[in-house]
Amino acid sequence: MSLKYMTPTEQFKKYLPKDYVELVDYGPFGKSQDEAGVNNIGQFKEVLEEHPMCSGCLMAYFIRVFFAALPNPEDTVTLGTAGCGRLAISQAAVPFIYGNYGDQNAMASGLSRAFRLRFPDKKKDVVTLAGDGGTMDIGFSMTMHSWIRGEKFTTIMLDNEVYGNTGGQESGMSPQGAILKMAPEGKKFEKMPATELAKTAGCVYVVRISPTNIKKTAKSIKRAILVAREVGPTFIHVYTSCNIEYSIPTEEVFKDAKDQEKDRFSFEEYMTDEAREVIERIEGEEKKAKKAKKGARKEEVVS
Amino acid sequence: MYYIAMVDAEKCSQHKCNICTLYCPEANTLMFDKAKNTSWVDVDRCKGCALCVYVCSDLLNRGCISMVMAQAKEA
Repeated sequence: MSLKYMTPTEQFKKYLPKDYVELVDYGPFGKSQDEAGVNNIGQFKEVLEEHPMCSGCLMAYFIRVFFAALPNPEDTVTLGTAGCGRLAISQAAVPFIYGNYGDQNAMASGLSRAFRLRFPDKKKDVVTLAGDGGTMDIGFSMTMHSWIRGEKFTTIMLDNEVYGNTGGQESGMSPQGAILKMAPEGKKFEKMPATELAKTAGCVYVVRISPTNIKKTAKSIKRAILVAREVGPTFIHVYTSCNIEYSIPTEEVFKDAKDQEKDRFSFEEYMTDEAREVIERIEGEEKKAKKAKKGARKEEVVS
Repeated sequence: MYYIAMVDAEKCSQHKCNICTLYCPEANTLMFDKAKNTSWVDVDRCKGCALCVYVCSDLLNRGCISMVMAQAKEA
């Protein structure tokens, strides 16, 4: 664990904020996914803290899952841009960089290259999390160019299909015909084919998902990060509905996500042969390690 | 005054389940007590979205969580 230097001495603990001490004592740092991962979320102190996002927000939910699914939270840096998402992403005990609107992928390019030069012996993960406006509208050129250059980091688009915190303007990702506060006649153009663009631009691992199955979501996040370490750019297009602008009652947010899974956000996973090799290698090693652990436990019981 | 989620611990502990804790959009809010085998709500953090009620009642048909009016703590 690389966060040893942040562990306070017993005598100093009482002067520190309660949340900090809890994170040191019960947080996920230095633990494996089996001990503090998405399967036992709610049984350890999460890196994400209280945030000002709306009640019942699916984006907040996805961000929570994202932080729980990080394979290496102590060596991860997240980048974001204006939009709802950064309200929660910035409240986590993971470094967060906030740039000008739309330039998160340009910043991440520089950062991931710098990490590789500065820490050649370490694995540092860079992940950009931005909304549909930041990734596909205003940040479009920087997103596309980072993919075309083959930069090794993960891009996650939190697609709520609207400019949520500026009053409900249509975005490139809003579906055709969507009636919004500032698009009263309905959107006249098609939804942008984000995953197709990613494949064409050279992303080696692309997923489109509605986060209804927590294990599947966590698996995609983990795969995307691990592939980005070795092969090239990876992209996750995730549905995170805006229950305010699309007037979804909060108790039906999850039902809506399930409906979208059958509609615009059907699960799609694309990977190149190179990415598949990396995934099979890493997951194979993990399976072997698990089997060995189980075997060791059985032997202990017998003896 | 606002609504918060309340877990019926007696009902909840009869099931081997922690599904609702996996579907709360707030971090460190709907927690799971392994010793008592029940979920519990950190009432100061709950925003009252009732997503957990949907998961427990509609998806799993267990009905262990209900929405109640938050009460001011007595000084």
